[in-house]
Amino acid sequence: MIKTNSVLDAKGLACPMPIVRTKKVMNGLEAGEVLEVQATDKGSTADMKAWAESTGHQYLGTVEEGTVLKHYLRKASGEEHEEKKHEKVISNEELLQKIEENQKTIVLDVRESAEYAFNHIPSAKSLPMGELEERFSELDKESEIFVICRTGSRSDLAAQKLTAAGFKQVVNVEPGMSQWNGPTKKSVNE
Amino acid sequence: MSKKVAIIASNGGLFDAYKVFNIATAAAATDQEVAIFFTFEGLNLIHKVANQQLPMPEGKEHFAEGFARANAPSIPELLSMAQEMDVKFIGCQMTMDVMGLDKEAFVDGIEVGGAVTFLEFAKDADVTLTF
Repeated sequence: MIKTNSVLDAKGLACPMPIVRTKKVMNGLEAGEVLEVQATDKGSTADMKAWAESTGHQYLGTVEEGTVLKHYLRKASGEEHEEKKHEKVISNEELLQKIEENQKTIVLDVRESAEYAFNHIPSAKSLPMGELEERFSELDKESEIFVICRTGSRSDLAAQKLTAAGFKQVVNVEPGMSQWNGPTKKSVNE
Repeated sequence: MSKKVAIIASNGGLFDAYKVFNIATAAAATDQEVAIFFTFEGLNLIHKVANQQLPMPEGKEHFAEGFARANAPSIPELLSMAQEMDVKFIGCQMTMDVMGLDKEAFVDGIEVGGAVTFLEFAKDADVTLTF
């Protein structure tokens, strides 16, 4: 079960209806929110990918459950243009090296759980941005924590929040998962 | 900037209607600006009465079952969806004159124009299709 902000039931609908409905629901979502589209139209997987590609939204992946295809999409957010403020940063390559040297390196993935589900660093812990404050207690204030997201913007904000809350060694990973070349894992069956 | 899709609909069968409206609604749902020029038999697709009962090609009537099984939306449904998403419908004035039809015979919200009206839209279109 992947957590999303909204679910669209497009089961039994033929092309182009799944896309038309997706477009409508997406209009009502906030930037960065995640939508699950349930469809039975077999062409919908290719269509969702192409639709996301041309509208600028993020296609996260598809899970097949019996005859139902569950597509996961994240609304475009324009987050890439925000100015980054957290000073301690590390590159993807440097982080990869640290993980290889020490398997216990703490990597905190602050993307939405649907983004994490389809592609994440095997040792990374998922803690979506929206749940960060209420779950501070799961983390150790003295440890070195590497915060990662898709492009380095959400993780920048998360790193600032953690530091303000008294965490001593928080490092933002730039650019993040969008350019990650190291090993990854999925926690869903496609 | 959004892309532009220009479509010419010049045939009046049920299959033609699906080709035209499926592409048009899919394009509109993908944030593209769409205009359809309905000419000659293509006018049936937006004719209030005719578009409720568009004919299948001869010998293909058995596909009716397949349409029902696939739960394909009806043509009037697709048409209103296209209009909701601001697809522009242009009826060909010349054909309407030849057939003795006026604007009232067609669904609301269409524009009536000549070839130049369509060409003006199509001249910088990214995709142009003829059905």
